[in-house]
Amino acid sequence: MVGMHSRNGWVIWLTIGVGMLLSVIPMGFMEVGRPLWLALILSFWTMVLPHRFGLARAWMLGLAEDVLYGSLLGQNALILTLITFLVMTLHRRLRMFPLWQQSVVLLVVFGLAQLLQLWLYTLSGNRPPTLLFLLPALVSALLWPWIYTILHGLSRRFNVY
Amino acid sequence: MRLLVLSVLSVVLMVVDARFDTLKPFRSQLGLVLTPFYWMADMPQRVWIDMTQTISNRSELLAENEKLKAEALLLQRRLQKLATLTEQNVRLRELLNSAELLDEKVLVGELIGVDPNPFTHRILIDKGENDGVFVGQPVLDARGLIGQVVEIMPYTSRVLLLTDSTHSIPVQVNRNGLRVIAGGVGNPESLDLRHVADTADIKVGDLLVSSGLGQRFPAGYPVAVVTEVTHDSGQPFAVVRAKPTASLNRSRYVLLVFSDPRTPEQRAAEAAAAQEQADQQEAAQAPEAIGTAPAANPAQGEQ
Repeated sequence: MVGMHSRNGWVIWLTIGVGMLLSVIPMGFMEVGRPLWLALILSFWTMVLPHRFGLARAWMLGLAEDVLYGSLLGQNALILTLITFLVMTLHRRLRMFPLWQQSVVLLVVFGLAQLLQLWLYTLSGNRPPTLLFLLPALVSALLWPWIYTILHGLSRRFNVY
Repeated sequence: MRLLVLSVLSVVLMVVDARFDTLKPFRSQLGLVLTPFYWMADMPQRVWIDMTQTISNRSELLAENEKLKAEALLLQRRLQKLATLTEQNVRLRELLNSAELLDEKVLVGELIGVDPNPFTHRILIDKGENDGVFVGQPVLDARGLIGQVVEIMPYTSRVLLLTDSTHSIPVQVNRNGLRVIAGGVGNPESLDLRHVADTADIKVGDLLVSSGLGQRFPAGYPVAVVTEVTHDSGQPFAVVRAKPTASLNRSRYVLLVFSDPRTPEQRAAEAAAAQEQADQQEAAQAPEAIGTAPAANPAQGEQ
């Protein structure tokens, strides 16, 4: 991956920056269903450019997210690494699927990630009181086709590879 | 393989972060780099407020002005009363020979972000380590206590609100001094009073003030008003709920309180020592002064 020639990497970083911004933007009552922006964007780039996107980078971004959210250092890092790993393992199959089927697979992946999140939150002493913590996974899966279309357009437009 | 390494690394980090303080500086430095995201995310709201202020029409402004004037008048009336009380308090304290600070030092902070996790009640404010903020510092708004600082970064800090389900605060019923513990339940409009005896004298409408027993919050600040008291003979304790007096999910400006960490006894002792020293200095200077000074000194000492 190191010697690989890459182009227009800034587009990837830009989308990640926007993702981070979106993940802290105030949302009022819709807070409960905040999509997992970073996970969505990372999944896209992992799926499209698996040779450019390593687990280490996902882990670092997760660490950044931990600092941003004030959660235990390593919590989101672990979760983002897991998501990236799953998407990376599935990327060949995912690319063959139509968009809605990708959404279904990602729903399962994100759901797993949220369950792990629940487990980690419980360990650190603030357990979410309801099953609502699974809502972000659903919202993210529903958003996937749009995210995919937008990011795909971007990567075509700027010729990222 | 790499997944394994990174997972183990994450778990180790989590344990270290939860148990030890070694990662705190690293965290606060990273926070310095990353908090601009909160600033940027908050920008639209900031701009919106500015815009509405610029283009709000004249009659609205007039009405608001009128309202503020009325409020100022009311507050001034109360202040007049307060002035005499303050003076009285100072005189009584002088009698007791303790020079307690009446006003705690206060710093105004502005909200710049709300925790994205809907199940925790934490906010981010724009004052940090460089402004002297410390972990555990009490935070209030115009109407009552909001919470306490739990994490500091160089220019920002994170505040845990009273209503977070991991937060509890020792309070007192203002009417009769009954001590209880108010814990958050994860609802911004409600606090749960734990272990209140069924026979305890507590009524709907009672004001709860901080008791200062936890050594964390200064005593006497309003915390909540009791909204519901249910006596259920099947339960060992009465179910009591209260509504925070501070507008936890609406206030944009908060006050950070720097209270004196010393106990009243220490303060009294130190004040006495300072007085003693001042007296001695005066006594030392007295021989150099002319005639009348020795006569004046004993009188001052007796006061």
